[in-house]
Amino acid sequence: MTGTDEPILQVRDLTIEFAAEQGRLPVLHGLDYALPKGRVLGVVGESGSGKTVHALSLLRLLPPTAHICRGEICYKGKNLALLKEKELRKIRGHKISMIFQDPSASLNPVLTIGEQLTETLLAHRKLSKEAARSKAARLLEKVGISEPEKRLKEYPFQFSGGMCQRVMIAMALALEPDILIADEPTTALDVTVQAQILQLIKQLQQESGMSAIFITHNLAVVAGVADEVLVLYAGRCMEQAPAARLFADPQHPYTQGLLHSLAPVEKKVDRLPVIAGHPPVPGEPEGGCPFAPRCPFAFEKCRQACPPLFELGGGRRVRCWLQEGKK
Amino acid sequence: MVNYIVRRLLLLPLVVLGVTFLLFLLTQRLSPEMRASLYVKDPRQMGALEEVIRQYGLRDSVFKQYGRWLGNVVRGDLGYSPSANMPVSQAIKEYLPATIQLAFITILFVVFFGVWFGSASAVHKDKWQDIAARIVSVGGFSLPIFVLGLILLMIFYGRLGWFAPGGYSVHTDMVIHGGAFKTYTGFLLIDSLLNGNWRVFGDVLSHLVLPAVTLCIGSFALMVRVMRSSMLEEMNKDYVRTARAKGLAPWQVVYKHAGKNAIIPVITLASIQFIRLLGGTVIVETIFDYPGIGRFGVIAAQQLDIAGILGFSLMVAILFVLGNLLSDILYTAVDPRIRLE
Repeated sequence: MTGTDEPILQVRDLTIEFAAEQGRLPVLHGLDYALPKGRVLGVVGESGSGKTVHALSLLRLLPPTAHICRGEICYKGKNLALLKEKELRKIRGHKISMIFQDPSASLNPVLTIGEQLTETLLAHRKLSKEAARSKAARLLEKVGISEPEKRLKEYPFQFSGGMCQRVMIAMALALEPDILIADEPTTALDVTVQAQILQLIKQLQQESGMSAIFITHNLAVVAGVADEVLVLYAGRCMEQAPAARLFADPQHPYTQGLLHSLAPVEKKVDRLPVIAGHPPVPGEPEGGCPFAPRCPFAFEKCRQACPPLFELGGGRRVRCWLQEGKK
Repeated sequence: MVNYIVRRLLLLPLVVLGVTFLLFLLTQRLSPEMRASLYVKDPRQMGALEEVIRQYGLRDSVFKQYGRWLGNVVRGDLGYSPSANMPVSQAIKEYLPATIQLAFITILFVVFFGVWFGSASAVHKDKWQDIAARIVSVGGFSLPIFVLGLILLMIFYGRLGWFAPGGYSVHTDMVIHGGAFKTYTGFLLIDSLLNGNWRVFGDVLSHLVLPAVTLCIGSFALMVRVMRSSMLEEMNKDYVRTARAKGLAPWQVVYKHAGKNAIIPVITLASIQFIRLLGGTVIVETIFDYPGIGRFGVIAAQQLDIAGILGFSLMVAILFVLGNLLSDILYTAVDPRIRLE
């Protein structure tokens, strides 16, 4: 691993709310983490856990109904949460870039791949059109697309989903960003293609030494790429730990449940263990640990107060009353 | 694509046959005497009626008469129009370009302002720009063309005297029918420029303004609405988020990315409106006494000028089919998914 401990991105107390008819619905509660240079952070959570909102908020791409109401996103001494839109544009796609869940929908259907690629280059660099075009062709080659010159003239509908994601990756890495945010980059793809795309991202990340935030609901994906894992549940960080340690020895009952529910490769099972119940709906009256209603170990205290994040040492943090006084 | 165009063109004769035959059938509701009477102006020559009926075979079966008319049309003879005092083909040649000119200028304005207001309305949803565009659009939509046309006439012709209604000025008529004026396209606006005659150009333009504005306002309202909703839909799509994530400026995100997709339904609408304008400027041409094909059609209908009516509807039917074809071609030009599949 090429990383150092100096964080390139520091998120502090990030809180996001949606404006809805019922009032303001909090979807992310005080998220804290630091992303070290050259490392990959995996953010895991089920649908509605706030993981995509968190990803979008980093570059302030939230839909108009959502807004960051508290917290800081510090990148190189700048707080992206408060930065002027014009300044932020210089960072988007240049220093921090992003790839999305549905690659075919994420590309503009009426512009050629070439136009969409060169446009990113031209937005941040002073280049001639020809230079941008040849650079775009090289980028396509780098992400494993053959005949790049010909493909540049084609439209997204002429590409498969996996190919579209390769184009998105080429676009995201065009300007050698410091951070890549990948929001469920493989969810919409076939399983075999998923593995190829993951491998490609991992390879390119290691070559360039950039940092990455990998957002997914798939623990297997995280196991393959992340150095550090953050488990989100109902808009809260439940557990954060180096990947190897998290998988070997999960501390939070939710993480344990998630790992249990993975299908084992070596034997055939009729029924997979599941975590009973549903995650809470944002805006429901709170009090106590959000996981308490589904937690097999829940006791009185869990229903009364939400536990803080207990530091366990070795970079591990767990939000669970079971950890109280354990240290 | 070529295949498609050929198929459309094969459809053309069918549509034309259908329309003209139906109209022909309707004219047969009039007795042969009534149809012949137009050609016999002098009451003292009533005896000539029978002669006209015999000469033109007005008592023959519908099919025989229609077949005769069709045969003449194929040979390029559309008959003589008593209401316009010239052969129908010449009347079309003289009046049709004026209507196309009017419809084209109208649609240019409608598309330009419709796209502009519609996208501004979508980008600034619920802000004052949006509210203003919506008020103008509802207002334009609810104002009938004949009311609006008369109001404009009262103000700009009656009060201010800025624009002229009615036929072209005597000077213009003399120039264009004089030998020195060369006809290049049949469109006076272009021909006068090519001839370098600014006075004719100005006269033609001043006759165009009021009818064009009147036609614009109704079509414009619909255009704003379509552009607005189309733009709102596109602005929510994933690729717009990608465009923003790349660090593009807002104008690039809105106009280059969302706009290029949002314009697709607008093209369809614009083509439909253009076609409707070609056949449907009748009211406006009548109000402003604009020398177009619509006014020719109305006068022909009022005077039971059957050759004129048939010639007019033949023209409109052909324009409809060609206009639809043009719209499809335009559509494929913008959307690569249709062009390449």
